[in-house]
Amino acid sequence: MNVFHDLLYGFGVAFQPWNLLSCFFGVFIGTLIGVLPGIGPVGTMSLLLPVTFGISPVTGIIMLAGIFYGAMYGGSTTSILVNIPREAASVVTCLDGYQMALQGRAGPALGIAAFGSFIAGTLSVVGLMVLANPLAALGVKFGPAEYFSLMCLGLSVLIYLTQGSILRGLIMAGIGLFFSLMGQDIITGKTRFTFGLTGLIDGVGLVPLVMGFFGISEILFNLEMLTERTVVKAKVKGLLPNKEDWRRSAKPIARGTLLGFFLGILPGAGGITSTFVSYALEKKFSKHPEQFGKGAIEGVAGPESANNAATGASLIPLFSLGIPSNVVAALLLGALMIHGIRPGPLLLTEHPEVFWGTVASMYVGNVMLLVLNLPLIGMWVKVLQIPYKILFPLILLFCFIGAYSAGNNVFDLYVMLFCGILGYLLRKFNYEPAPLVLAYVLGPMLEQNLRQGLILSDGSFWIFVSRPISAACLIITFVLLVSAVLPSLQKKRRVIAVEE
Amino acid sequence: MTSKQIRRVEGIFWVGIGILICILGWRADLGSFREPGAGFVALFSGLFVAVIGMILAISEIFTKADQSATFDLSSAFKGISWSRLIYTMVLLFLYALLLDILGYIITTFFVMWALFYDWETKRWFPSFFTSLVTTGASYLVFEVWLHSQFPRGIFPWW
Repeated sequence: MNVFHDLLYGFGVAFQPWNLLSCFFGVFIGTLIGVLPGIGPVGTMSLLLPVTFGISPVTGIIMLAGIFYGAMYGGSTTSILVNIPREAASVVTCLDGYQMALQGRAGPALGIAAFGSFIAGTLSVVGLMVLANPLAALGVKFGPAEYFSLMCLGLSVLIYLTQGSILRGLIMAGIGLFFSLMGQDIITGKTRFTFGLTGLIDGVGLVPLVMGFFGISEILFNLEMLTERTVVKAKVKGLLPNKEDWRRSAKPIARGTLLGFFLGILPGAGGITSTFVSYALEKKFSKHPEQFGKGAIEGVAGPESANNAATGASLIPLFSLGIPSNVVAALLLGALMIHGIRPGPLLLTEHPEVFWGTVASMYVGNVMLLVLNLPLIGMWVKVLQIPYKILFPLILLFCFIGAYSAGNNVFDLYVMLFCGILGYLLRKFNYEPAPLVLAYVLGPMLEQNLRQGLILSDGSFWIFVSRPISAACLIITFVLLVSAVLPSLQKKRRVIAVEE
Repeated sequence: MTSKQIRRVEGIFWVGIGILICILGWRADLGSFREPGAGFVALFSGLFVAVIGMILAISEIFTKADQSATFDLSSAFKGISWSRLIYTMVLLFLYALLLDILGYIITTFFVMWALFYDWETKRWFPSFFTSLVTTGASYLVFEVWLHSQFPRGIFPWW
């Protein structure tokens, strides 16, 4: 009953005109950037982060969250119509979605992706609502040891699930951790690792770092070879899936939702993994696995639902424990902290309007997305046809504005360019930027909790293994790390990846 | 170069970076276990990078990798339009360099003009016009409506 009462309160917040407008703006921009190449939800959120400084925290978070789940919707459009996934989470949708489009069934493919996303997105919000409270209650009992171990676990899970080499992912995490240490020491206030650059006294900014690694490097990568995209020429019609489509998609949507939700809760796992697992699962359950890859609607319905369910679920560790499980959640954390709000166990009691307002806005946003995605599909197709030579200067300008506006400092532009070039080179050698950025975000919290834990225990590391939750997290982390360096397990993991 | 050799070079490179981070951490004051200092976590992150780098370098010894498998370093950079890439990077650095001096409007206009310029058709007007509209619209949205504070440069009244 309490949850119902809180949700009503949340709807009261979400339906305030400014919040409604910011929700619409968020999902619209999210869908747009999901369709466009280059900038992505992380870049867009970084760009609009300074905009939230002048508005209330709840309005800002509603907008940023809208961009997040809106982009997931938009990503399916490009996968189906152009066979180019804008987000890693949309890669699987290409396999059958594009084949359906080639067979003249782009409409039902887009339709089932939108409906599946809507159903999964809405159900994941219900899950978020139900689970956040108990988790927050558990979180109150957390001390520095638990937080430190949980963050280690989150990082390990993310690295374990990265598509490339685990060893390279681990190295990226180590470098990201070092980046987070630059600037003033959080405990003594001493300046460190600035290399004589005054611009680094406040540390490396989150926005220029993210813009560099995700925005600039992506542009440089795309600029290497400017190839024209082939958009499905036939007019997209008949968006409503027929009875047969629904019959075939109902179970994949249900399975995808459950799978996406539970994988999404895990720090680091999130949308990408859930789509691959969902696709493999559907192929296994199907009576006609040979149709997969040739336009099976189950191959679109399952992964798209899993992807969107994971989006809502990934906010659970952020809101209830204050731990971001992916880069997007890290940006939301940054936005909340700029407003003086510390996500974590006390968020629900100290700032209920932020939590319940955001949850309720996600219901509203999912309805908006359904309305936006189905009738406006023609518009998104036109957006897809904008030549890249026009798009990339605009994206670069947005990156510059975003990086500069965050601190009104030209030094941040150099940081962004440095990170962009570094990100480009790292990608060339198959190093993924996600572990670096997540380690950078978790770095200050990880350092603070490790040092506090040691001070509390009088210098003994025993505190991290003597407490049950902390010990469990560290054991899992250890197992993941050991398996990462065992060649036989690495080989198995590679085989699984190829099969998927 | 074989993949094994590449991994070895890669691993050694990261071992070097890890050691460098350790030295930086040590110089920033390690403190003690009872009272960890500003360089304490950096030392651990450096050690971590160095150890993983070492594992990366020696990992191929324990795997039965195809000894003949080769990795052509040049293939990673094959077919790249270097002129376009370098041209764009130079413009990006120019933008950062000139923003404070010339201000937002002038710098954005010229850099956007250069970025929009189509080297195939070599027509200057479309890129000039697109740049003008982009600069004006971005100024209106971010400076006027969203109150971002862009540098004014040589024209402080803008």
